[in-house]
Amino acid sequence: MTDDITRSVSRRAMLKGSTALAAGAAFGGAGSLVDWARAWAAESPFQPEKGASIRMLRWNRFVETEDIQFDKNIAAFTEATGVKVRLDKEFLDDIQPKAAVAANVGAGPDIIWGPMAIPHLIPDKLLDVTDVADYLGGKYGGWYESPAAYGIRDGRWMAIPLCVSGNYINYRVSQVQKAGFETFPTTTGDLMKLTKALKANGTPAGMALGRATGDGNAWCHWVVWAHGGKLVDKDGNVVINSPETAAALEYVKELYENWIPGTASWNDSNNNKAFLSGDVSYTNNGISIYAAAVRQKMEMAADIDHAFYPIGPVGRPTELQLPFMIEAFKYSKYPNACKTLLAFLMEAPQYDAWLEQSVGYFTQTLKSYESNKVWSEDPKRAVFKEACTRTLDMGYAGPLGYAAAGALADFVIVDMVSQAATGQTTVKEAMETAQKRAERYYRV
Amino acid sequence: MNTNPAAEVARDDSEGMDYLVSLPRRMVTVYLPILCFLIVLLFPFYWMGLTSIKPNDELIDRSLNPWWVVDPTIAHYYHLIVNTDYPVWMWNTMLVAVTATLLSIAASVMAAYAIVRIRYAGSRWVGGMIFLAYLVPPSILFIPLALVVFQYGLFDSPMALILTYPTILIPFSTWLLMGYFKSIPYELEECALIDGASRWQILTRIVLPLSVPGIISAGIFAFTLCWNEFIYALVFISSSENKTVPVAVLSELVEGDIYHWGPLMAGALLGSVPVCIVYSFFVEHYVSSMTGAVKE
Repeated sequence: MTDDITRSVSRRAMLKGSTALAAGAAFGGAGSLVDWARAWAAESPFQPEKGASIRMLRWNRFVETEDIQFDKNIAAFTEATGVKVRLDKEFLDDIQPKAAVAANVGAGPDIIWGPMAIPHLIPDKLLDVTDVADYLGGKYGGWYESPAAYGIRDGRWMAIPLCVSGNYINYRVSQVQKAGFETFPTTTGDLMKLTKALKANGTPAGMALGRATGDGNAWCHWVVWAHGGKLVDKDGNVVINSPETAAALEYVKELYENWIPGTASWNDSNNNKAFLSGDVSYTNNGISIYAAAVRQKMEMAADIDHAFYPIGPVGRPTELQLPFMIEAFKYSKYPNACKTLLAFLMEAPQYDAWLEQSVGYFTQTLKSYESNKVWSEDPKRAVFKEACTRTLDMGYAGPLGYAAAGALADFVIVDMVSQAATGQTTVKEAMETAQKRAERYYRV
Repeated sequence: MNTNPAAEVARDDSEGMDYLVSLPRRMVTVYLPILCFLIVLLFPFYWMGLTSIKPNDELIDRSLNPWWVVDPTIAHYYHLIVNTDYPVWMWNTMLVAVTATLLSIAASVMAAYAIVRIRYAGSRWVGGMIFLAYLVPPSILFIPLALVVFQYGLFDSPMALILTYPTILIPFSTWLLMGYFKSIPYELEECALIDGASRWQILTRIVLPLSVPGIISAGIFAFTLCWNEFIYALVFISSSENKTVPVAVLSELVEGDIYHWGPLMAGALLGSVPVCIVYSFFVEHYVSSMTGAVKE
């Protein structure tokens, strides 16, 4: 299928598009994007229905420049294809319930761009976009394995992984060096030593132990996986109550004792605030802390850097990065217009510009975008480039599906880590509770 | 010997309140508890007000006194009112709350009167069913209601909320008014019937004038529930220009993991004002409704 579609894009169309793009690049401005878009629309393998208009729901921006460029791309699409796009933006945590309602009542937005769990919660309600995925994958060097897995169910693509939001260690260089480490530790053993030294220096660290959708899930899964614990085995049997998980929880208890007080109530915003206030020396987050410091011209920006999560006893990266999936509903009156938009957003002129304006907050899911200059113009963004290659998926080590999505959305791992770390329950009780909660999802 | 009854009563009263005579006793038994209540009740408003006038650098600077502001600013209010659709959100909220409240109270008055006063077979059952409807959480109803809203083409319009909020408000208001109507002596209506009044005349000329405190009380509850409602407003409305305040401040003033606390608190504080005004106008009626309608 890939070959057929790729061949259907004629040499003439590509030439027209390239010429328009080259002219646009020379003269700059929004006109260049629109010119290219018109050329693309004329010869695209995806042609919208006549008179189509679609409604799209996306999550509220994390980085302002990304949002502005996204709007420009949508406007260029409308200009080129005549398809009107109504773009609504909502708080990230509200996207999932809205998607659930739309899927159940069979009406609402035509396209949703939101968290990774959505496609696996409502797979039967989503438009088959295999042709779009094959077209893009064939043209742009193929998809990374992990984000692609989130989009595929039973051999068909039900959603397109638009990007991955990298979540890594954000740290203060001077404070880490003062604690005796020239660079951020690469092993969990050294991380513990650093954490204790930072506390002794009066510059403690902290990561979110509340129900933080992004930050909490990211680091709690990392620490459990780093010690060999996992929610399920490869057959989907719940195995979280294990000696490996116990070792991870004991490790977190010790970390927690050396962190700044109050992390048990932190959500996704608290660590940003604490870091920018100078209260913590390291935390885990996307690049938005650094981006905010740069935007506000804070002196602290020069002292911020990013690092991979340290490697644990299992001896390999065990990160959980967060893909953001874009999916269209079967009930849409204009399925072709939806597919055209999905393809358009990931074509090079739009995607490169958008990736650049996301200043490292998003990582590409198609391999050919690795060369985007966002990764070379500021070395502090470098670690985020690797987000797609180092991550496991949310269902690890079992299958991706409703159960994995449900357990993640219900914060099973985060709650277990939090309960054990704070002493609310013993390590054993926390694991037993998590085991029971996870089994409810995996029995379905 | 003093035989003046009024003087006796006065003396009894003064003896009854003797424990409040000395200042230390009054401090412990009256002023201290009142102070505790005031702190608990007003602290959220103080915190909202304080945060809404703090500049951004003070909001993240933990070396400063968190209970005070050094360099107050109205920038957050300016941003909220000028750079966002906040005035539109307030208008939407007011429109939805007032209309849904009026609709619900009108329906509830007739339902409550019919159940309490018109003795038809099964009236008690109907009352019980309405109470059961009140017990159903809105979070269970929103999916079926969403289906109705979409099929009638009401999605993303204020009418979606105006017509769905009564599903929460009518059971509650009816139940409240049923209790109130029961406290009105039936003899008053019997006299009116003997004088030839119709049921409608009895309702509008006798029962409703006597029920004003109860209706106001139900109205205040209904208005407040509408004003604060979140889940239906979140699900049924998508466009920024159609959102109500509780949903809009969250969806429009939180950007990813950055919470704009200044405008958020300014929005919450301004959003509380209409409810405070409604309460302040009708607080006396509200209190009197708690003590029943007509003293026999």
